[in-house]
Amino acid sequence: MSFALFKLSIKKNWLLFVIFTLVLMMYSGVMISMYSPENVQNLMQMFELFPPEMMKAFGFASAFTDMTGYLASWLYGLLMVGFPMVYSILLANKLVAKSVDTGSIACLLSTPTSRVKIIITKAVYALLSLTVMLAILFAFNVLIGKAMFPNDLNVEAFLNLNITVLLVNLVVMCISFFFSCVFSDSKLSIGFGAGIPIAFLLLKMLGDVSDKVEILKKISIFGWYDPMSIAAGNTVWVVNGVYLIIIVILLSLSVIIFKQKRLAI
Amino acid sequence: MIKVTDLTLKYRSGKGVFDLNFEIKKGEVVGYLGPNGAGKTTTIRALMGFIKQDDGSASINGLDTFADAPEIMKNLGYLPGEITFLEGMTGEEYLNYLAEVRGMKDLKRQRELIKMFEFSPKGNIKKYSKGMKQKLGIVAAFMHDPDVLILDEPTSGLDPLMQNRFVELIQEEKRRGKTILMSSHMFEEIERTCDHVLIIKEGHLVASADIETLKNSQRKGYEIKTKDNAQAVTLLTKLGFDAKLVNDIVEVYITGESTDQFIKSCSMLHIDSFDVKSQSLEDVFMHYYAKGANV
Repeated sequence: MSFALFKLSIKKNWLLFVIFTLVLMMYSGVMISMYSPENVQNLMQMFELFPPEMMKAFGFASAFTDMTGYLASWLYGLLMVGFPMVYSILLANKLVAKSVDTGSIACLLSTPTSRVKIIITKAVYALLSLTVMLAILFAFNVLIGKAMFPNDLNVEAFLNLNITVLLVNLVVMCISFFFSCVFSDSKLSIGFGAGIPIAFLLLKMLGDVSDKVEILKKISIFGWYDPMSIAAGNTVWVVNGVYLIIIVILLSLSVIIFKQKRLAI
Repeated sequence: MIKVTDLTLKYRSGKGVFDLNFEIKKGEVVGYLGPNGAGKTTTIRALMGFIKQDDGSASINGLDTFADAPEIMKNLGYLPGEITFLEGMTGEEYLNYLAEVRGMKDLKRQRELIKMFEFSPKGNIKKYSKGMKQKLGIVAAFMHDPDVLILDEPTSGLDPLMQNRFVELIQEEKRRGKTILMSSHMFEEIERTCDHVLIIKEGHLVASADIETLKNSQRKGYEIKTKDNAQAVTLLTKLGFDAKLVNDIVEVYITGESTDQFIKSCSMLHIDSFDVKSQSLEDVFMHYYAKGANV
């Protein structure tokens, strides 16, 4: 870990972070303000206007009773996965593959900073910035939610939901980061780094549509937990543990591959 | 200081460098010459530890160029051939980063270099002209006063005045005992700065010679216009010079040692104009090889 390089990473990538955080905050704020305890029934009726398969595919479960369930369904079902995914894809590609592709990484490698140090520093920035982003959103949602509807949010269940969603987002970041380390061509890095997480998301959406194709959901990293069940107070520590293991494996592989990589710069 | 033994580095395209052997001693300034695509940059990639060699070994100061790269970089300055800087920064921010990461307290040398090249590191690097980027690269490579310098086509993009400044900088660094490897395809630049020259062609080292030897073997070309060109050619040929008529101009090629005789012979002609013909690196090579074969 190089502190100077970490500071540089912040300097070069803060704008991307701010944009995504602000968009998500705005969206969350709107979602929470749309909620009203009395209107749960009305909302349910609104759902019934849409084909149930479509609603399920987008993660909008039909049966929620409180705000935690509402947020788990409307916000954490798809949005809090999809948006950070775009952030991960863009950032991971920019941090490694793009700088190898353009050759600007030579500026870092011609200083006494080792390859391992460079990659670890960049990975720390990637994971930490995503964690901070989701932490800000968690705090923001709790604050707004509690201010508007003091008794409607189960903070503990909501925290558990945020932890699991954070971990699955970190897995996505690690997938993109891994391919960013593997490929020297930005196009290939984006292709795999975006393609695989998007494929996982589509599998999960398809798997939600019907019980007959539930198997699709099980092979997707996004299908290993049910946001509604976590919002109802259940925990998924085993799934969280598996996510952590995947993160550690992908990061280790990224470092090992980059350490030996041929850099035509 | 820099030692390369049986170094082979192949690309998938089949290009690369093959069985390179050379050694650069401390305080030596060596020019690395070759046409485009000959393998100059590939050799430098191996020396910088960007690509691990397939075979053989390369070391700087006794340290392996791949495994010990970070240690080597503490005391090495590098100027890439095609510089791409980190995005979205000003030149000043980039230099500050380098100073920070190298743990430099004294920025005197950096200020000297900026002054020497009349450079202003303000503004986003993206907006810099090619010459300004080159100047920034030079400052970045020399500012920590390293003992070893690896420079890939260092004067590309610089105007003639700044090219001269650069030659002066190299001469100064040479006096201060620095070890320098610089690639180029401009013979003049190498001629003014280097003690020794390595010539690479299609991935193979084809010559390693002292600059003096190369200079003497180099034939200079002259273009003369006279009142009667045909007669001039006949006369010069009779005196043993390689003269021919091209586009109504007499072209004469002579080696360094016969310059005096040539000038004296020219006094017999009625000369309208007299020009030195600039020679491409290829010409220099060709004649060096030709001579080398005879010896």
